[in-house]
Amino acid sequence: MSQLPKKRSNYVALVLMAPLAGGALQGCSERPVEALAFHDVAECHNFGADLEACADAFDEARFQHTQLAPRYINQAECEADFGAEACEATPERHQAGSFFMPMMMGFLAGQLMGRMGGGQSGGQAGLQSSTPAAAGGAAPAGGSGAARVPVQPLYKSRDDRQTFRTATNTPVANRPGAVQVRPSAVQPRAAPLIRQGGFGQQAAQRMSSRSSFGG
Amino acid sequence: MQRHLITPRPGWQRFAERVGFCFHTLNGETYWDESAWYSFTLQQIEEDLEAPTEELHQMALDLVSELIGDEQALDRLAIPPDFRHALAQSWQRGDPHLYGRMDLCYNGHGPAKLLELNYDTPTSLYESGFFQWIWLEDQQYSDGLPKQADQFNSLQEKLEQAFAQLPLPQPFYFSSVAASDEDRGTVQYLMDIAIQAGVDARYITMEALGANDGQLVDEQGRAVHGLFKLYPWEFMVEEAYGVLVQSSQTLWLEPLWKLLLSNKGILPLLWERHPGHPNLLPAHFDERPDEPLPPGWVRKPLFSREGANIELVTAAGERYQADGPYPEGPWIRQAYQPLPVFDGNHTVIGSWVVGDYAAGIGIREDRDPITRDSSRFLPHAIIE
Repeated sequence: MSQLPKKRSNYVALVLMAPLAGGALQGCSERPVEALAFHDVAECHNFGADLEACADAFDEARFQHTQLAPRYINQAECEADFGAEACEATPERHQAGSFFMPMMMGFLAGQLMGRMGGGQSGGQAGLQSSTPAAAGGAAPAGGSGAARVPVQPLYKSRDDRQTFRTATNTPVANRPGAVQVRPSAVQPRAAPLIRQGGFGQQAAQRMSSRSSFGG
Repeated sequence: MQRHLITPRPGWQRFAERVGFCFHTLNGETYWDESAWYSFTLQQIEEDLEAPTEELHQMALDLVSELIGDEQALDRLAIPPDFRHALAQSWQRGDPHLYGRMDLCYNGHGPAKLLELNYDTPTSLYESGFFQWIWLEDQQYSDGLPKQADQFNSLQEKLEQAFAQLPLPQPFYFSSVAASDEDRGTVQYLMDIAIQAGVDARYITMEALGANDGQLVDEQGRAVHGLFKLYPWEFMVEEAYGVLVQSSQTLWLEPLWKLLLSNKGILPLLWERHPGHPNLLPAHFDERPDEPLPPGWVRKPLFSREGANIELVTAAGERYQADGPYPEGPWIRQAYQPLPVFDGNHTVIGSWVVGDYAAGIGIREDRDPITRDSSRFLPHAIIE
């Protein structure tokens, strides 16, 4: 029996996934946190959040939009990804004119809940009970040391008008309201000057019913 | 082949999370299930699973070379005409393939029957190649299983050899859809193995891939010359970025020619060429998808994964249907071969192929006759 060739690997090791080996650990340790995605201030306020907090978040997202929105050499390439009349000139210019970027279609706020749900400033209209995790002061978003979801602009691609996407094209929500996001997936990065858009349209459309695209 | 109850390793969940197995429990339901295991004899493994796996694999590859240029057959497989040239080139250039999994119906006796090929984006890789292997070592260490027990599982070793030998451009990128943690886990496992084999492996989400003058690029605008994508070819060729498949200087894993083998239409084509083969089930293209399915048949869409959109009617006329995101046809019909039932569980065997060699098995169990993405994964061992 012991002379027979084994039918299994002689050894198996992990260098990246196992923290003991000093590799980069993430995955399991990162829990999704609740954040809010809205088209505009009114929608945010109707959802039950404080009007001023909504307006502040929107303004912050507007500012971040000018910094983070993906850049395109010309309007046509931008519209190919985001749709007709869904692009605008960037604040910065180059010799031949402006770059183009998609218009902001909404905003993502994690911080809003820290301000709303903290509970100590009584009297402030908090989130409605339809979002118990948030209303409970849920502090994953604002807790000390916990990863946070920065306020940022959201966009919609030409062929998928349902889905809110970050400036780096990460889909975060299919409708306005409370969403679960992984903070590491929504950390803003300055977008380079290339056509972005990537694959994943089918994934976004079929995502509601599946968690994997393998089989 | 038998099912045995066994005591789970104390604290295995904590261990799983320490080694990156984040999806051992999915939506509160057990996915990795070590409350039981399956035993096989060496003869069952070698004669009934390993040898037929390699034979079926070879039959599938032979079929690919026949299909290239056969416009009529490509029509039946619903291969988009715009991509046929690139697909043929991918085959004729000899673009390398890494891995695949075939699902087999087997109960310990008689020939295993091929249910389908998952040759483009197979998953359950980590739990098969790594976690199952550790489970056996642990059980042997704690005397839960005898020291001479073995396992049909050279998956990780063969993947490492493949990564060391394949002519991969450096750096080599690995990609999955941003929203799927499970797929990210599978890709991380492959990257881990690739790194051990000396590959300069980088991760990028499918959504973050960019294009520059027809060339696929990463977030910094650097050309992506090699990409493993855990994302179905049949999606990619339908998307706006699909045109890049034809223009970009990129070595894809799996290669574009796998579009033929992840297609359920391969099942009737195999049956046409090898009628009565002991490891095949009768299958044909469904010319009447609107008619009710007769007893003893299964209806599957050409493109579907994890049991989605499958309808089956047992010989006794009981009807089962799984919803899913692939409601559009075309469809095939395959003779219904009931999965064996062990302690009330319907059991299917996923048999791995790396390069052109059988590389081990993983077992899935479900309470229903249709195996899906929620089906539990159980370990196995070879015991004489």
